[in-house]
Amino acid sequence: MRRKRLDDMKSAVSEMFELPREIMLNLPKISMIGSNQMLVENHKGVIEYTPQRIRVNSSIGVIRVQGNDMKLKNIAADDIMITGGIKSIEFI
Amino acid sequence: MIFYILWNYLIGYVKIRVDGVSLEKFINLTVSRGIHLWGINRQNYTSLTANISIRGFKQLHAISHKVHCGIRIVEKRGFPFVLHHYRHRKMLTVGMIVFLAILYGFSSFIWSVDVEGTEKVDPQMLMEELYSLGVRPGVYKPNIDTLSIENSLVIHIPEISWASLEIKGSRAVLRVKESVLPPAFVDKDTPTDIVAAKDGIIQKMIVLEGQAVAAEGQTVQKGQLLVTGIIDHPDTTGVRYVHSMGRIMARTWYEDAAELSLKEPYRQRTGRSAQIKYLGWDKLKIPYRKEEIPFADYDMEVRKDGFFITETYYEVEEIQWDKNRELAKEKLKELVGEKARKKIPEGAKIIDKKFKYDMIEGEKLIAVIYIEALEDIGLQQTIEIQ
Repeated sequence: MRRKRLDDMKSAVSEMFELPREIMLNLPKISMIGSNQMLVENHKGVIEYTPQRIRVNSSIGVIRVQGNDMKLKNIAADDIMITGGIKSIEFI
Repeated sequence: MIFYILWNYLIGYVKIRVDGVSLEKFINLTVSRGIHLWGINRQNYTSLTANISIRGFKQLHAISHKVHCGIRIVEKRGFPFVLHHYRHRKMLTVGMIVFLAILYGFSSFIWSVDVEGTEKVDPQMLMEELYSLGVRPGVYKPNIDTLSIENSLVIHIPEISWASLEIKGSRAVLRVKESVLPPAFVDKDTPTDIVAAKDGIIQKMIVLEGQAVAAEGQTVQKGQLLVTGIIDHPDTTGVRYVHSMGRIMARTWYEDAAELSLKEPYRQRTGRSAQIKYLGWDKLKIPYRKEEIPFADYDMEVRKDGFFITETYYEVEEIQWDKNRELAKEKLKELVGEKARKKIPEGAKIIDKKFKYDMIEGEKLIAVIYIEALEDIGLQQTIEIQ
């Protein structure tokens, strides 16, 4: 309950000062270009990687990306770039 | 992105193949240690390929131990590997060093000297002055003290008021600003007369000092006294000597003639030209910029500037005056006008121009020009007092 209230306050503060919310609330930031490129910032590691399915861990749970012929174009400590035919993204 | 690719090429990277069961764990461990991976491609369930920097690769040993996976290099890419490949070719290194040394050596000399900003002063004179001060092609750059050269130029040449010597790579550029010289000093203590410098009809006389002897409308001859500096007036006691001053505007005439042979063809430039630029000396020259010469007939001019040789080809067409009398007349008019203009002093106003043409046995065309001008014919002449 307290945790929730703290998060609400952080959200309100970040909105008020126009601070990037993904940093304040430690959320993953996902940006896509069409359906061929996807950038996940603020991730917490790769759980599974096959050309058909990628699962990325994050603070809000696992992000599951399905598609075909997917590659990890770039991977660094806090961002992953996925390229290839992306078909679906799920938060589980 | 291009910068990124280039940087990776420069520092070198390897493409590795990782075989194992928990490849995700391998990826996570590598990344968590701050090692960057890119271009990851899963081949099958137990293997993947990825790119990694050389430095990162050296740290993989511990990880592969932990995850129990095999790592093999598939391909080595980048400059360090190229360098490694040529490491036994010593002469290549020597050549590279020699090349750099020559490049550096040659760039520390002056190759050409230029003068900019001259209007009335002869740039050639400034150039010679610069040469004598030690700025000439082939001089070692650090030996040039630009500040003292600028100063000595301004001091020694009264015609320039400001000079800036700039060394741009292997080129020395002198930029000058010309000074406005003060008007000539009028020595009012010396008594003078004003006499006519040439024949003419006086149109207007403005006498500021002295006594006018000639009148407006009078025809005067060269050397005739116009204004006298000896004033002997009945109202004043004694004779006064003054420095005569005034403007004596008179109508003067000039005549000049020019001829053109109708039998000889005339070579006239059409205004089109092409250039070939060479680098070299005398016969040993290498063209570095070449333009096509599409002209059937041309004149060539060669200009040398240190090691830079420029050949300019001017297109020329031959004109047969015989078939082109009108054009010949035009040309002759231009010719004679130019010739006459040299005789007329600066400041004279041309009032009237007349041309007369004569043909001599169909061989020659003669043009005579008569010019009527308005100019100051006053000339100072010192009075000798006994």
